[in-house]
Amino acid sequence: MNAPQQPSPLVHWPAKTNEIPKDIFYREDVYQLELENIFYGPEWHPVAHTGELLNPGDFKTINVGERPILIVRGDDGQVRTFYNACSHRGNLLETRVSGNAAEFECPYHRWLFDTRGELRGAPGDDDFSPSYCKEELGVPTVRSAEYLGLIFVTCSDDTPELESYLGRVKSALKTTLNGDGRLKLLGYQKVLYDVNWKAYADNDGYHAPLLHAAFKILNWQGGKGEQYATENGHIGFESELTVPKGTDFLNDTALLEFKGSDSSRGSAIASTFPVTVITKHMDMINIRFAFPRGVGQTEVHYGYYCHEDDDEEMIQHRIRQSSNMLGPTGLVSMEDASIFHRIHTGNHTPGNVAFQKGVKHEDRIWYDFAQNDEAGNLPRWEHYRKTLGFDREEL
Amino acid sequence: MSQLSNETLLALDAAQNSYINALDSKSMEGWLASFTEEGSYICIAAENEANNLPIALMLDDCYARLQDRVTYVTKVWAGTFEDYQTRHFTQRISAEAVGNDTYKVITNYHILFTPEQGQTNVLVTGHYDDEIVLSGDTARFKSKKAVMDTNISPRYIVYPV
Repeated sequence: MNAPQQPSPLVHWPAKTNEIPKDIFYREDVYQLELENIFYGPEWHPVAHTGELLNPGDFKTINVGERPILIVRGDDGQVRTFYNACSHRGNLLETRVSGNAAEFECPYHRWLFDTRGELRGAPGDDDFSPSYCKEELGVPTVRSAEYLGLIFVTCSDDTPELESYLGRVKSALKTTLNGDGRLKLLGYQKVLYDVNWKAYADNDGYHAPLLHAAFKILNWQGGKGEQYATENGHIGFESELTVPKGTDFLNDTALLEFKGSDSSRGSAIASTFPVTVITKHMDMINIRFAFPRGVGQTEVHYGYYCHEDDDEEMIQHRIRQSSNMLGPTGLVSMEDASIFHRIHTGNHTPGNVAFQKGVKHEDRIWYDFAQNDEAGNLPRWEHYRKTLGFDREEL
Repeated sequence: MSQLSNETLLALDAAQNSYINALDSKSMEGWLASFTEEGSYICIAAENEANNLPIALMLDDCYARLQDRVTYVTKVWAGTFEDYQTRHFTQRISAEAVGNDTYKVITNYHILFTPEQGQTNVLVTGHYDDEIVLSGDTARFKSKKAVMDTNISPRYIVYPV
């Protein structure tokens, strides 16, 4: 791929591998470059899990970058992915965020599509252009692939096959998806953070026991674990997570129980480039679908799931835990939400930020880290820098 | 449905006013005191509610959980977030007796928030689906469900809705 045309003024990327320029978090021209080369470039983006689309006709809408996407389980049982736009004049085809449909009709000129995306009828078609071909005018498709039920799309034909793209992070991803990915949706928590998408995705292992008082109280930072990264910007965490007996700061300690998870891998995080985070903490299975809303906002849909084999008691336990621990109001994560806004405002100051925790080298990139290192984000930054063609300054 | 007396309606409204006043005063103890010892509180997006998806933003399904929410706000999260002032505006839509001095009350709400920087915006809007118990002069919530039309909430929510 040719290097993208550079914005003006140029982005000055510092020489040291642990430093990041702050202006990339708010520059509109950089954001446009990101949309074209990352969100619409050769990257895979999770958009749904099959556990959200259990029945024929079930659909979901979401964005990749600023492009609207429609995911549908067809009447033949197959899940397909489309750009959410009528093949005629580009009108947004489905406005609902989810539901069940027997067909999709564009109200503008009443073009009608079935759940496989094929055009069934267009009023007045005996008077259409000479090259009009009904069979070629289905809802425009977008390339997709699945891993353990997680549905990814890519806007580029150059993106490598999904499993090789995921590489080493497949291990953490498998743990987060409960081993086999046989999940069923329990519901969403949705939030719009006032933060550039990169700062949202730049959350690190260093901050957890420091920002989150509940981590300290629950002794979550004491677990054994590993953090690793891939050359193309994915990050995996797999850690022990034990809850000390006799925790007395909560009256309802049932919230903290492990019922179905192996505590030696009680905390797993798969963070796929550019902006998706999939986690399993205790018995909470959580996929955080995310996309930018312009340069200064990031929309995140926290999807929570149970396993197909769960009994009713387990489902209720997952609902209680998921509804109280994570997300923008969660016991162990509300503080993240409040930091996102502050970091976006603070990033409007001049200069660079410098990562410190776990930084062993300042002139190269490496891929294995301790659980509480922030250096684990540096391979992702290197992938970002290279993708956008930003040259490093000389040391 | 029999007509409720003005006295009863005033008592039900007093319970709601006491609840929102506690929140706008950042009194989590006052918030807790607005519930009975069997009380429960759920804050859930309308999207989940409409699709029978049980995940909530806050799910305090027993009194111990209500007590723990006080701990979250006053102890666990203290000093980690940019604070904000809320103003709740409510309008009772319906009220009916369901027996045992208990009333089912539906109330619309609209909540504005003003962070420390001073610019006011909408936090969330929706409706309360409540069960209120009258006992002598006092009215408290046996259950309170805050259903949020605002399926995508702004930034973060520290205090109950």
